[in-house]
Amino acid sequence: MHDVRASGWRWRRRSLAAAAVLLAVGCNGSPPKARVLPGPDAPDNTPVDPQDAQCREAARDPGRVTLHRLNRAEYNNTVRDLLGDTSSPASDFPPDDHGFGFDNNADVLSMSPLLMEKYSRAAEVLVDAAWARGAFNTCALDPAQPEACAKELLKTFVRRAWRRPVTPEEVERLAAFVTLARQHGDTPEVGVKLALRSALVSPHFLFRVELDPAPTSLAPHPVSDLELASRLSYFLWSSMPDEALLQAAEGGHLHEPEVLEAQVRRMLVDPKARALVDNFAGQWLYTRALDFSQPESRYGFDEPLRAAMRQEMQLVFQEFITGDHRIEDLLDAPFTYVNDRLATHYGMPRPGTSAMTRVELKDHPERAGLFGKGALLTVTANPDRTSPVKRGVWVLEQLLCKGPPPPPPDAGGLAPAVDPTLNIKARMAQHRANPSCAGCHTLMDPLGFGLENFDPVGRWRTKEEGGATVDPSGELPGGKSFNGVVEMREVVKQDPDLSACMTRHLLTYALGRGAEDQDRCTVRDISQQAESQGGRLTDYILAIVRSDAFLRRHGEAEAPKP
Amino acid sequence: MSRTPTLSRRTLLRGMGALMALPLLDVMRPNTARAAPPAPRRFVAFYTPCGIHMPKWTPDDEGANYSLTPTLASLAPVKSDLLVLSGLNNLPGKPDGDGHHAAATSAFLSCVKARKTEGTNIHTGISMDQVLANAVGKATRFPSLELGIDQGKGIGNCDSGYACPYANNIAWAGPSSPVPKETKPRAAFERLFADFDPGATQAELAKRKAYGLSIIDAVRDDAKALQSKLGATDQHKLDEYFTGVRELELRVNAMDGAGPTCGAVTEPADTVDVREKTKAMLDLIVLAFQCDLTRTCTFMLGNARSERVYSFLGLTGEHHAYSHHQRAQANYDALAKIDKWEVEQFSYLLQRMKGVQEVNGTLLDHTAAYFSSEIADGNMHEHKNLPILLAGRAGGALAPGRHIRFGGQPLANLYIALLNMFGVPTTTFGDDGTGSLSGLGA
Repeated sequence: MHDVRASGWRWRRRSLAAAAVLLAVGCNGSPPKARVLPGPDAPDNTPVDPQDAQCREAARDPGRVTLHRLNRAEYNNTVRDLLGDTSSPASDFPPDDHGFGFDNNADVLSMSPLLMEKYSRAAEVLVDAAWARGAFNTCALDPAQPEACAKELLKTFVRRAWRRPVTPEEVERLAAFVTLARQHGDTPEVGVKLALRSALVSPHFLFRVELDPAPTSLAPHPVSDLELASRLSYFLWSSMPDEALLQAAEGGHLHEPEVLEAQVRRMLVDPKARALVDNFAGQWLYTRALDFSQPESRYGFDEPLRAAMRQEMQLVFQEFITGDHRIEDLLDAPFTYVNDRLATHYGMPRPGTSAMTRVELKDHPERAGLFGKGALLTVTANPDRTSPVKRGVWVLEQLLCKGPPPPPPDAGGLAPAVDPTLNIKARMAQHRANPSCAGCHTLMDPLGFGLENFDPVGRWRTKEEGGATVDPSGELPGGKSFNGVVEMREVVKQDPDLSACMTRHLLTYALGRGAEDQDRCTVRDISQQAESQGGRLTDYILAIVRSDAFLRRHGEAEAPKP
Repeated sequence: MSRTPTLSRRTLLRGMGALMALPLLDVMRPNTARAAPPAPRRFVAFYTPCGIHMPKWTPDDEGANYSLTPTLASLAPVKSDLLVLSGLNNLPGKPDGDGHHAAATSAFLSCVKARKTEGTNIHTGISMDQVLANAVGKATRFPSLELGIDQGKGIGNCDSGYACPYANNIAWAGPSSPVPKETKPRAAFERLFADFDPGATQAELAKRKAYGLSIIDAVRDDAKALQSKLGATDQHKLDEYFTGVRELELRVNAMDGAGPTCGAVTEPADTVDVREKTKAMLDLIVLAFQCDLTRTCTFMLGNARSERVYSFLGLTGEHHAYSHHQRAQANYDALAKIDKWEVEQFSYLLQRMKGVQEVNGTLLDHTAAYFSSEIADGNMHEHKNLPILLAGRAGGALAPGRHIRFGGQPLANLYIALLNMFGVPTTTFGDDGTGSLSGLGA
């Protein structure tokens, strides 16, 4: 891959001036000249310092995370851990929007009347069900003297629900519901339930609140240990802190490096860390989109196959959370999980069971790593044909953070083949005859060509449907060439931007905010630190958790409201 | 023992095979001392993604003697209730660089240029339906109703650096507050009818209200105590929370027992089949209007850049891929099929409304039903000469039965005209609205 720091840091949010520069960088066919992104006042064509001098001097800006509404996954996991309720009530909430590739982005998680209604109704159902299950049996509510027990119940519950100790005033106000119920001739139980419902509709439950000593000051400060506990638990578990974590925070030691590391290691081996598979990997690797794929019927795609593909991706990634693999080995890990159905689909020996089984890929190197996975190959194809562009763009954006500039108006997908004797690569050559297309397509297409041996549902093929022979070779700007998926993934694995790009996606997810220009050095730090520690996912997670961006924050300068 | 209204009603519905009389709200109960009031005016916006293949859409002739084109053929039964509007532009929908679908979708009803961002500081404008809801929404249980079909894939970036809220929402309560839509028919139904409890006594209702309101008071206090400690962006999030609380309060106050009939209703089943789902949602719109539960409604047949595969139309590619037709006949044919199906859905809605008799006319007579897409041609991402249908008489304010060709006026001016019809005395709207579009009335 051509080594272009600037395009590796091409943020989509940028001025038009910057965009013009980047267009020249990313897509002009000839090997691009490296440039830095000009800031608002910087002259154009500032030469890049390969050592990235900026990062050596400046203090890191930790940034600010917007008041974070629990998204649907977080809500479901939180009520699971808080009440033992596994009914996933949030599945009936309106879908969360996502930003920067993830649906835990606090900026786009808005609140709406519809959502408030759902919260209100869910709270009532959750409390009634938990009460019926005996979740609140810790003390007896004596109808004559219910206050002591009611307060005890509420204090215990609300501390966990709000993820922080409750003040005596807060307990008093909640206990007032018992009085209200009595005034209406109802039992104390009715009052306590009302209080519990109100705790579950409170902003303290629905939002992850982080406070600044001075809300309008840009001076960074450490987040409190309790806030840090929630940052950790929602990052690693998509859920509330458990008792051990909450106690570590209440004791005031959580921010200490060795305590922090011990908590992270403990949390990653907990089954709840499965949330990283579902929510981080599910979005980063596009596995979630598999639910919506509708391949043409002639490919024989069905629900058991969909389920097997999804599980394959999940099980492989799960191993990266707990195992000893380097994260970059995602690209060529020589093992996978298949059942009979998926093995047949892949043209591999069947394990003899419908259960997903771990297999070595010595004899099937084409299936090693992400690019051999049916889930990824299917979601990056069209329903009725492959799309080298979609696949190429996926690699660029999700692995190298080098998304190409957008196509010009009137650019479109590939028209259906008129000459079936030509393979797709030959047919796409016409793009490069058109100068307005050439620049970008020379960047996007080759990576996709490397995956052309996989059909729209990820089966191996040497012939296209039209009969033409597949040509899985490609040449990248800068002269690197490859032939087929094995060589192609090696090129990607060698790319100097791979580690920083993976960091950027993980950091975006960890913080629930987009990694922006000013996070460039933070990303660099994390990537270097993680690689120096062994480059495992755990190393990346620890490096993120130790970063200022995770441990600190600042307020927001007062701006005139638009 | 407190019973939840939801449960009692749900059980009731299931037990009765789901055909039953529905109660009526206090707000729509006519004052018995007076004659029946005129039927209220309603507005519905019907969004369809990825543009329209215009050559098969636009009628040749103008005025009353125009002929329906192949794409519009299914509107024959309601042709006299229909305005085809050509030559309106929504230039604020143009993005910076690429991102036409998301930018134009967020501008679909707002006519405000969206700020290009993948998530931080999203910014567009209040949508026309929400302006309407602010003006007339207090009269009904729901100020507005937002319905749709697709959840969205939830991966990647939605459209070339434009955040997903832009792509998935046409209703905006404010510049950075999308109003999300309900995409499950059953959930939408429950929401509309859950708070009625024919079995509840007045005393039970009063108690339930008191409890509901006390919870609202408590959480509002929680939010107020937080407010002063937060910065501007966080305060905005809290403002959205307060709005939610306020609407919840209205909902609690409107809890009601049984009332007179406003229509026979079947609880819809949840389905993944887009045909059934669309029909269920459109039926709910009619029902919500019929029962005067709301007077403003938006509906999204898909999200921006929809990749739906219309296999039941014999198609194998994705809608968005076809819309980049590259002037290939096979793609034109596919688009024409999809467009025709989309218009058939709108026609179904209009015919259902025409079948509902109200005081002095049908529901359709009292409605302005608006149909369009965020762009015209999908290959060029054309923001000019948009495909627009406007049906109904809006209580006499519209004179349908014509094809009108405008000369490139801003779409915002159509919204100004519509807002004026609903009694909102505005002369500007969005980025480029300059005044009311003329020629729509008699």
